[in-house]
Amino acid sequence: MVFTFHIPATRMNRSLGPPGPKRKRPESSSQSDSLTEQERILYEVIRSKQDMGIWTRDMKRETNLQDSVVNKSLKVLVAKNLIKEVVNIKNKGKKFYMAAEFQPSKEITGGAWYAEGQLDTALISFLKDFSAKQIQKQRVLTLDVISDLIRRSGVLKVDLAEQQIKDILRALVLDDEIIEVLSTGTGEFASFPVGKVCYKCTSKGARGGEPKTGAFSSVPCGVCPRILLCTPEGVISPKTCVYYNKWLEF
Amino acid sequence: MVSQHGIKFAVHIITKHFGNLVAKVCECLLRRGALTLQNIVRYTELTPTQVKNSLLVLIQHNCVQAFILEEPGGFGDTLRLITQYVVLFDNILHRLRFSKFLALVSLHFDKPCLDLLEGLLQHGRLSLQQMFDRARETEGSNVTLSTVQENLHKLVTARYVERCPIPEPVLEPPSENDVAARKRAAKSKIIVEAETLEQRVVAASFPSDTLRFSVAVNPELNIDCATEHAGEKRKFDALESDIDGGATTEKIILWRANCEEFVRQLRNKACIENVRARLDDDAATVFSAMVEASGSEEKKIKVVNSAPLSVNAIYEEVIKSEKGRNMTFNHVRASLVQLSSQPRFVRVADETYSIDFKNIVELAQNDEVESVVLKRYGRTAYKIFRLLSKDGRLVETDKDLSTPLTQDRVMKISDSIFVEKKESANMLYKLWQDGYLLMERLVAGATQFLLWKVDKQKVWWHFLDEMFHGALNLSLRVAYEIDQRDEILKLREGASKEKRDRLVKVRMLMESSLMKLDDAIMLFHDF
Repeated sequence: MVFTFHIPATRMNRSLGPPGPKRKRPESSSQSDSLTEQERILYEVIRSKQDMGIWTRDMKRETNLQDSVVNKSLKVLVAKNLIKEVVNIKNKGKKFYMAAEFQPSKEITGGAWYAEGQLDTALISFLKDFSAKQIQKQRVLTLDVISDLIRRSGVLKVDLAEQQIKDILRALVLDDEIIEVLSTGTGEFASFPVGKVCYKCTSKGARGGEPKTGAFSSVPCGVCPRILLCTPEGVISPKTCVYYNKWLEF
Repeated sequence: MVSQHGIKFAVHIITKHFGNLVAKVCECLLRRGALTLQNIVRYTELTPTQVKNSLLVLIQHNCVQAFILEEPGGFGDTLRLITQYVVLFDNILHRLRFSKFLALVSLHFDKPCLDLLEGLLQHGRLSLQQMFDRARETEGSNVTLSTVQENLHKLVTARYVERCPIPEPVLEPPSENDVAARKRAAKSKIIVEAETLEQRVVAASFPSDTLRFSVAVNPELNIDCATEHAGEKRKFDALESDIDGGATTEKIILWRANCEEFVRQLRNKACIENVRARLDDDAATVFSAMVEASGSEEKKIKVVNSAPLSVNAIYEEVIKSEKGRNMTFNHVRASLVQLSSQPRFVRVADETYSIDFKNIVELAQNDEVESVVLKRYGRTAYKIFRLLSKDGRLVETDKDLSTPLTQDRVMKISDSIFVEKKESANMLYKLWQDGYLLMERLVAGATQFLLWKVDKQKVWWHFLDEMFHGALNLSLRVAYEIDQRDEILKLREGASKEKRDRLVKVRMLMESSLMKLDDAIMLFHDF
């Protein structure tokens, strides 16, 4: 079922968010002074979007300028280093521009785990492996200890923010490799204060990373992508099912 | 309320066991709810005798229960009493589980008891005399009535066998409060687990708990209250009284297997195995001792947690078992700490411990659904599903709306699971299409946002329906394979050994898979 809500547009206005770290405004008053009227209008629109940037078609709509004028003005503005082209992670095909003084926001770049518009899978899998192994070795660990272990291992050139390590641990939780628990202060949690968030391995970790196969998923219907179309006398039916034939090959 | 494939599966079981006519009556009741005899005749277009006989079969096998509904009549204050029939869906499914029930009983009882129970399962309801006759047929003439009675008493004391319910309990019309509550529930479009008519009838059909398991041959108790009701009813409705069978009129006590107790035992077994898989053997030993110790206290299947137990009581029970004998008091304490830390199997309060059945069942349910999501849709879907099912609220594809202004806390589905945004968006859509996710569209100005959620109640319901579908398919395919085998045998006396061996293997694989799938169905439907 699909529900439709209407919420005030102002709440959704992304430009309300705190702007990205500002660079010092370029002291190029002479450059912006030399702009034509149309170039100035375009520049103001782009600059008003701050670190979110703006898509070329949106510029055309907002400025009411003709395509050719916009394209020409963009070239001039880029040449004068007033604006820059940025890759938007959500729409790599769309051309986005941003005033030169802003750093693209996380919405545009995709956040800390993206490098040049690509998900940095090598870094992620390394960190996941490293953290999982440490937790397996020491049974129970906290976020601080894991951060410390990563830092001290010296394998990374850059320092990771705490949030990034949290991201990694959350991904491991979703993989069902580790679980997040609160320390009880006794037994294996003896060295952690009561209520502290800890991470420990799941029993699945001991099984070699594969979750237990359920009863339904071990029969063809459980994994069948066409189960919704299957009927006893239909085109797809248990009697003629190819998945069954394969399953019952002895 | 039973889902579509649940109904189809139940009808399939009845067709297999009792043929098409009975199945037609059963399907009519499953689809339309409680009906009078006349209405069943009308809807099924069968003759009244056919319907009557089908109902008798279904009642004999505990798949249908008759009841009398009191309705205000047209003249003055007199109440109109209408006999209606309601189908007991759970009992139809239990027909698949008879082998499991027998296996449970074989652990603690000897062969004569097992035979007695088998007779009850096969015939639905039996009197002591009928059980005695059966025992003489199988074991010879040296069986005495008192030994059969003794065996019956053993099974009744263990609650595996019970007296049959009242043939036609009187059900009062729902009070105004009930009606109002139901209307409210319907308005809010929430599936509320209100007491269904089926449950109300079952509750009304049981005499008190003591009478239900009373083995006294005391003549006062022997007068089954059931017969009194039947007699009363006859005054009003001479025609339909034929339905409840001749046996009750002779004031003979009928006995049947108590499926509720069997399912409860199966639930305990499943919980113990779950603990063993997640923790270790020691924890499972302690846990099973807790199950034993609290077993006499609780009698229902769907309970949140067991009665609290002290460490001493648990230890006392642990050392009764062979495995527990080499455990020290400290061992048991350590296992209890393990059991009560997350994922939590046991609740602790004031130095007492109680089993958290609800949580264990939920964990097992999650495992079952996640396993299907992983194998059917792949790892990305598995992560998305776990993320949303843990979160339990609406999450936007890209951005968490509850914190639109603090970028540090922005949570994105694709970021949380580290996959490319396009891939996660495609997967979300696929899961939604197949009924595993709920989507809500949110329009803010010119932009549109999609919000996703795992609505456990709806998804679990859908999943159970798929499992019924899977069970039906397995059962149909088994029948198909057997047909094929018969044909091969007919065609050639000496059909190749290879082919015959294959069919034996196929049948074993499918039947054992069906039993395992039924365990999973119980996990969602009964526990």
